[in-house]
Amino acid sequence: MKLRELAALAVVATVLLEIAVPGRDVYHAGWLNVLLVALAVLAIAPAGKAVRAAAGAPARWSVAAAAFGVAIVAIAGVANGLLAPDDSRVIGAPGERVRNADLGGILVFPLLSPSPENAQAATVTLERDGGAFEIGPRTRVAGSFALHTEERTVVLIEARDPGGAHLTVTQPTGSAFLSPVLLMQHHQTIAGMDVPFDSFAVPAAHRLVKAVLLTPQQASAMRGMEGLAIPAVLFAVDDERDQPLPHGIALDPGGAAIAVGGLRLRALVLDYPAVAVEPVPQLEVAVLGALLVAAGAIGSAVARARRG
Amino acid sequence: MSGRVGYLAAAAVAVVAALILVPLFRSPAARPPGPSGMSGEAAPVFAMRDDAGARVSLSQYRGRVVVMNLWASWCPPCRAEMPDLQRLWQRYRDRGVTVVGVNEGESPQRAREFAASLGIRFPIWIDERQQYGRVYAALGMPTTVVIGRDGVVVRGYDGALTFDQMRAAVGDLVATR
Repeated sequence: MKLRELAALAVVATVLLEIAVPGRDVYHAGWLNVLLVALAVLAIAPAGKAVRAAAGAPARWSVAAAAFGVAIVAIAGVANGLLAPDDSRVIGAPGERVRNADLGGILVFPLLSPSPENAQAATVTLERDGGAFEIGPRTRVAGSFALHTEERTVVLIEARDPGGAHLTVTQPTGSAFLSPVLLMQHHQTIAGMDVPFDSFAVPAAHRLVKAVLLTPQQASAMRGMEGLAIPAVLFAVDDERDQPLPHGIALDPGGAAIAVGGLRLRALVLDYPAVAVEPVPQLEVAVLGALLVAAGAIGSAVARARRG
Repeated sequence: MSGRVGYLAAAAVAVVAALILVPLFRSPAARPPGPSGMSGEAAPVFAMRDDAGARVSLSQYRGRVVVMNLWASWCPPCRAEMPDLQRLWQRYRDRGVTVVGVNEGESPQRAREFAASLGIRFPIWIDERQQYGRVYAALGMPTTVVIGRDGVVVRGYDGALTFDQMRAAVGDLVATR
């Protein structure tokens, strides 16, 4: 096999690998993209001479097709490596419609199902160009992006007054104002433990509440929680001037309603999907380029065989 | 022959490169945040109950213009605009307009008592899980969404509306009947 053909093969293999196994930092590394360009030059530069030396039109067109294929595969790969946005994770509240400029559409997050079976089956829908595209745990490529869902922990809050009447939960600083689902995107250190937290308001009761999520291991270290292997939520209730209230701190051990700070709060810890967005070389372009390279290689081999 | 092949290949590479690169520089879609950003999209439909416990759904109003108002009893601007919503409902209900007050997150009893205290007669729905608030990207309360006869969101408003603003919001939709 000639060096030109080896280089072409390496370019195609690298770019197809970027599509098949997306989300690796190395794809955006300068050295990899310089290497990709160098390989493409090695594959394409001798093509002119090879075209002139080729015997007959089919052989010439085969060489040209392969060089063209390498060029577009390399451009797709380098464009992805150097110009595409960084990998990202889109987090949304249940029912929220999140516009995403990179994807050129709207991500529609599913409604929350409190049952774990349904939660695992939940998919996020990408609406764009008048169509809908379901995104689940298996990676799917849409244009220049590989998309899949990742489960992350959220907390569904139910707030009631002491008489048991349901109360509105708002998140003045959250992505969705009128959502009782805490996305737990913030982190802080408590007693040496890194814990996610979020906050919400109960305007009817003039209360501001901070909710800290503890893993089963962290929760079992708490007094009264020894031996319980379930996640728990620690509530800290303040008045609307951010002043702590007497009896305003309590631990909810997994879905039980507790009385704290003049409220009855219940927290359900659930898995909920976020969308991982990983740029990849454009699938259609890369496949077209790879097919041209393959067609060129086959055409050249057939021409050689006939001549030999 | 080889020169022509070279020029053709270079031109083709340039075209493909442009096709690859243009999407990478796509500018973000300019859609406003909040309920007005839903304009032009099909109104989401959730099954829920009204303040008397009956099953209700937005789909029962297909063919009518729906003014959906998201409110809560603790919200002073919601209280302030309720009488104007009642006026709107009285004036336009025979002309194909329905006003629906969707209580966000409170109990049916609280919603019923609040509506009764203000003499509200239009339908009051109970959205205990605050689903409409989330899908309409409510930035605060009240939030009002106007849905056309075809079930598509026409416009959305953040904050309390005056009666004149309400009339203007449905005026063209009533006229196109």
